[in-house]
Amino acid sequence: MNEERAFFDHNGLYTPTLLRVTAIEDEIPAEAVTGPIKNFVLERNGIDFRPGQFAQVTVFGAGEVPISLSSPPSLSDRIILTVRAAGFVTGALHQIRPGDVIGFRGPCGNGFPIEPCIGQDILFVAGGIGLAPLRGLLWELLFRRQDFGRILLLYGARTPRDLLYQYQIPEWQEKGVEVFQSVDVGDGVWEKRTETPRKVGVVTTLFQEIKIDPQRTVAFVCGPPVMIRFALLGLTRDLHIAPERCFATLERHMKCGVGKCGHCIVADKYVCMDGPVFSLAELEKMAVIEEPW
Amino acid sequence: MKIWTLQKKRVGDWMAALRAAGKEVLAPCEADGLLRFRPIDDPSAIAVRPGPCPFPFKEWLFPPHQVLFSYQFEGGKVNLREEEVLVNDQVGLFLRPCDAAAIKILDTVFLSDPPDGFYQLRRSHLTIVTLGCRQAVPSCFCPAVGLSPTSLEGSDLFLWEEDDRFLVYGVSEKGDRLVQVSPDLFEPGEGPEPDQLPSPLPFMERKEPLTNVGQKLQGLFESDLWQEVGRTCLGCGICAYLCPTCHCFDIVDESDAYSGIRCRNWDCCAFPLFTLHASGHNPRPDQPSRYRQRVLHKFAYFLQTFQQNMCVGCGRCSLFCPVGMDIYQIVLQLTGRCLV
Repeated sequence: MNEERAFFDHNGLYTPTLLRVTAIEDEIPAEAVTGPIKNFVLERNGIDFRPGQFAQVTVFGAGEVPISLSSPPSLSDRIILTVRAAGFVTGALHQIRPGDVIGFRGPCGNGFPIEPCIGQDILFVAGGIGLAPLRGLLWELLFRRQDFGRILLLYGARTPRDLLYQYQIPEWQEKGVEVFQSVDVGDGVWEKRTETPRKVGVVTTLFQEIKIDPQRTVAFVCGPPVMIRFALLGLTRDLHIAPERCFATLERHMKCGVGKCGHCIVADKYVCMDGPVFSLAELEKMAVIEEPW
Repeated sequence: MKIWTLQKKRVGDWMAALRAAGKEVLAPCEADGLLRFRPIDDPSAIAVRPGPCPFPFKEWLFPPHQVLFSYQFEGGKVNLREEEVLVNDQVGLFLRPCDAAAIKILDTVFLSDPPDGFYQLRRSHLTIVTLGCRQAVPSCFCPAVGLSPTSLEGSDLFLWEEDDRFLVYGVSEKGDRLVQVSPDLFEPGEGPEPDQLPSPLPFMERKEPLTNVGQKLQGLFESDLWQEVGRTCLGCGICAYLCPTCHCFDIVDESDAYSGIRCRNWDCCAFPLFTLHASGHNPRPDQPSRYRQRVLHKFAYFLQTFQQNMCVGCGRCSLFCPVGMDIYQIVLQLTGRCLV
């Protein structure tokens, strides 16, 4: 019988690239409510991506998970992943050491629309680790600050300890980002400080603190599903921003990342290929009230 | 379309000729007490019954378990090894028209950009020989999804049983080449157009169209009817595993301290873990919402993405569901066309 042997080095659809982890930093301590969060700095290896895209990251011996890229593409020598130890694979990722090798498949997904935002005011609404994918975009905008109008960041987390990237906030403010923060529960100290306007409450309570021009504002939202839902509601109802101008990046259980495995299907969209970034106008058309976010 | 005749008693000779030409012939036969497609040498082992073979041909293009690559740990290094796949030229013999049409649906998923290399390689080595249905079984509902017992969708050769011979319709060039392997077995013949053959189509009862229900079903997204129909579902997944068009898969690592494999296994949207986030959030938290996804994916979402339904009306899911859920009846019920 004729047998043909074929090797799959053709398009490497499911095969990751090996990348070395050059540094690992603690971002949030293990005692925080959300548990430990670490930054993993990867060698760049010529990989091109857009803010808002994600990668399928392999911890060899454990498995593969989708992780958003939290550094801007303009930072040319590295890719940073901000990862919470949430499950089996991310737990294993937290065990690796600098110098170890991980697998990287991607970038996947569509990313945030940047060019249509030129000349516009930008409003970020982030909850918890949802700031990670938005940080890549925020830095990218700051690298070309003059192209954009006001930049506002509304950021909420469960407790002061759970707030990400606090050490970068002075730099962002220096570059003209208006930062407002909230925590669900204060610690008695945080709420008395004044470096940034702050509130105890969910992140949507910060909507009352800002004045924006809805005609020239584009909003980017990321956070846990329930937060995304109420943030989008507030953006349209309270701040009167049009659904076409509100963008959310969705989280889904994903496996293949290339539109085959069926896990991330929402209506007629594959979140891994058509998303993860969708405008509220698209989300409304996807007609999924209970299960979108 | 070219038409030949092939004497039934010469099918064995044809199979032998195909084998001699380096092709593997897969036909429905008894394996492990079940009817499924297996490589076969002896024509007397072929078990063709009315209706589709209980196990669809899908497993030969999209195996239940596929190693994607393997890796070894060596010092601080990881060595990746691409999976080597052995492929024979294959002939799928005696698929039913619904199964051939199902392969076209799998093609749209796995061959659309970016193409899946594993599927593509196996698919390019497969020729499909379909046997038209002279008889339907009660679970069949292919007319409801725009197919018929004589449709040619996805076939390379189409056979029709007539007394002691087959009428052989050449549907594609790939099919014609199978005839050319032993041309002396095939005599030029004449026959009606396939849709004029005396098929059981006029006598089939389940033919209320399910092709145009997408918008209506999506309009029912929040309807209580899903609770009603979905609560019955046990979430066992047999419908997805026997469905010739279902293609969802899981990707997992199996590893030890020295090495590991990354593999993909069939998965099913009825399983609670299918959409469970690591955070604990589950966008489809109960069986009704998962059953709704199954129905909407087949009759609404897939239609929007790929301009066709993801159902060929083979009826396997209804026939083998342990609690008797019948997707045909359920869609009719949802769209207000029956009160079952």
